[in-house]
Amino acid sequence: MNKGTYDAVVIGGGMSGLTAAITLCDAGKTVAVISKGDPVCCLSTGCVDILNSTDEPFDGISSLPFGHPYGLVEQDLIIEACEHFMETAARGSLPYAGSIHKNRHLITPIGMKKTTCLVPKTMEHANCDENEGIHIVSFRGLKDFFPSYIMLQYSNTGCSIFDASVSSTIGIAERFEDERFRETFADWLSRQHIPEGKIAIPAVLGIRSSFSIYKELSQRTGRTFFEIPTLPPSLPGIRLFKCMKQAFLARGGHLYWGSEIASVEKLGAIIEGVTLKNPGRVGRVQGRAFILASGSFISGGLFARMDSVQETVFGLPVYYPENRSGWFKDSFFSRGHQIEKAGVEVDSSFRPLADAPFKNLFICGSIMARSEVMKYGCGHGLAIATGYAAARSCEGFVR
Amino acid sequence: MNLDFQHCIRCTICLENCPVFRVNSDFPGPKQSGPDSQRFRCDGETPVDHWITLCSQCRRCEIACPYGVNPAEIILREQLDYGKKHYRPLVSRLFSRVYYLGNLISLIAPVANRLVSVKIVRRLMAFTGISDYLKLPPYRFHAMKRSWRWKGSHKSKRKVAFFYGCYLNYNRPDIGRKIRDLFASAGFRVVLPGQVCCGLPALGNGDLAAARRLAGRNVSILEEYIDRGFDILYSCTSCGLMLTQCYPGILDMEGGKKIAENTYNIHEYLLKLMDEGLLNLIFESVTEKAAYHIPCHLKALGIGYPGAMLLERIPGLEITVMDDLCCGLAGTYGLRKKNQDTSYRLGIIAARALRDTGASYIITDCATCRLQLSQLSGMPARDPAEILFESLKGSVNMKRKKKL
Repeated sequence: MNKGTYDAVVIGGGMSGLTAAITLCDAGKTVAVISKGDPVCCLSTGCVDILNSTDEPFDGISSLPFGHPYGLVEQDLIIEACEHFMETAARGSLPYAGSIHKNRHLITPIGMKKTTCLVPKTMEHANCDENEGIHIVSFRGLKDFFPSYIMLQYSNTGCSIFDASVSSTIGIAERFEDERFRETFADWLSRQHIPEGKIAIPAVLGIRSSFSIYKELSQRTGRTFFEIPTLPPSLPGIRLFKCMKQAFLARGGHLYWGSEIASVEKLGAIIEGVTLKNPGRVGRVQGRAFILASGSFISGGLFARMDSVQETVFGLPVYYPENRSGWFKDSFFSRGHQIEKAGVEVDSSFRPLADAPFKNLFICGSIMARSEVMKYGCGHGLAIATGYAAARSCEGFVR
Repeated sequence: MNLDFQHCIRCTICLENCPVFRVNSDFPGPKQSGPDSQRFRCDGETPVDHWITLCSQCRRCEIACPYGVNPAEIILREQLDYGKKHYRPLVSRLFSRVYYLGNLISLIAPVANRLVSVKIVRRLMAFTGISDYLKLPPYRFHAMKRSWRWKGSHKSKRKVAFFYGCYLNYNRPDIGRKIRDLFASAGFRVVLPGQVCCGLPALGNGDLAAARRLAGRNVSILEEYIDRGFDILYSCTSCGLMLTQCYPGILDMEGGKKIAENTYNIHEYLLKLMDEGLLNLIFESVTEKAAYHIPCHLKALGIGYPGAMLLERIPGLEITVMDDLCCGLAGTYGLRKKNQDTSYRLGIIAARALRDTGASYIITDCATCRLQLSQLSGMPARDPAEILFESLKGSVNMKRKKKL
């Protein structure tokens, strides 16, 4: 075995992949992450949904149908995984608030309520009841953010518009990173004579240092703020991803970004390495163990043909509802499309089931069969729990 | 027409990664300039989107896109088409010939370096559209091309040809010679092949014909070396991107594939040899803290961060890897007056983030990143090869495990 062999190679740079990678790094393993692009996490609200179908997510997990991947993770391990995540995020100066025993509700840009569990501290005060005084501060020309919709839902609301001279969320967030802009903004805010109550602001408070910007703004104005997550490009999602990626790099992990897997080198039931598709020469990454966290359909981990579903990296056997006519419900927005159940079935050690084609391959995240992330509202939560648990199992294997 | 843009699902991940979009609201971002607009473009039509030239071709959109769409390449093709059908300003014409200019300037280097600080010359430069916020790097007479062309034993079976690129050639031949000596002392036969500019400045300034001309000369020279059993090495990540991706890709050079398959980043190559057990580098320990800025084009090469991986093996060197920052200069992009503001603002953002790491200096592979970041952060910026060479002081520490 040569020196370039990693203890573990993680395929997929999303929440589950990075969680697994960070966990293994913390255990002193050498880890590489291969990702063909930025993950779906960047498009998310940055909040961690543990289980949205109930009020008490942690207790709700035990009542999930048999076969849901949450069931593979011991209860203690779920708590440990969430604590590990909170600690990682806090160390990356993106602290999170909340408890996995209680869900909370956020206001969305169209005034609806979104159920979630762990939220970035910039959204900590977003739990509002209908009569609470909220003042919305928006920005001139900002698309996909609708103060008037929110004002229809909440009776005691007002609104002010600030002209930041740019109209994209990213452009405004980059301005907030500049101290002089923050000063101007705070000055303007203090001249608005905003009545008592909380101040809601679209999630544009910086890209890299959101929490310190949030704190500074609260101190400067003496008010309680909270951010409202926006449609993509969604800053809280980007912050979460960058924070996790930086945490991985800081622990000495190696990234291979922008490369798809071209082929798999295997010896019997052992995967020895993968080659990376590059315009020039193919690259090679070798590992003692592999973790597949390539996500579901939207991330490209699964691919649906007319009559079957395929796993795209290793060609693993995939579980899917047999009859295509039963894959979808009539309405796009109704929850629980059967196709969501598609994925790779795993055993209690997170290795693929169905004759376990590979001994050193572990699976985590939304590629797992019957995860139904959209139906139960458990995307990041499942990613964190299974990523952590799969890493633990993998750690035992490479010890 | 390439139809890859149809894979775009409009997720905006490219937009999130675009440095120019963050600070310049005139640029609509890679999604709109790339796949979105592509649907309305027809072959043979004169491009009218003048903002297309605001893209700096950092390729961060391409690396980030999870669906295999290549916004940067769509934009580059459009830029080239734009350059062909519109009047190209003097500054574009100058920068696409930066290799020939370098040739000239290095001949009169001592005089030229003084001339740049003369007011009237600076005025003249500003008049032609060259930005003035950066102090331009001095040129050297004793360029790489005027160095000893080979080093190491004739009998050595391990042979490498070093494509040093324009910057090391004219501005920092000292680093270039260190790299040459590093490989020579590891028992290689190192050759500095006759070479011209890789063609990236021409490509970036909308001159496809000039880029192909330069590429053609390089391909014929390098092909000959490959046939004789040489591996090609590069240290400049942008040159590397040209050699391995653009020659077989957008320039569609005959023999480009062969070049791409036999060309390595110097750090990637050293790591490969170490992993294969052919080379054992022993480093002196140091007590230093550095910030490793990953240049956009190193990320785009898709080879991981080999320089950082190598430097990690130096005991006591603590490095913070930062891969989300674009320095903004992007070769000749930020040296143009019209992009000066974008480049400066991005540079300040990156410089601040690097300073915040608490490091005492910046390490980065790309020469223009070093130019921009060192001047805007006030921290010294160094090439990873320099650090490697220093901690290997003398060839005494270098032991070969097996006979090469």
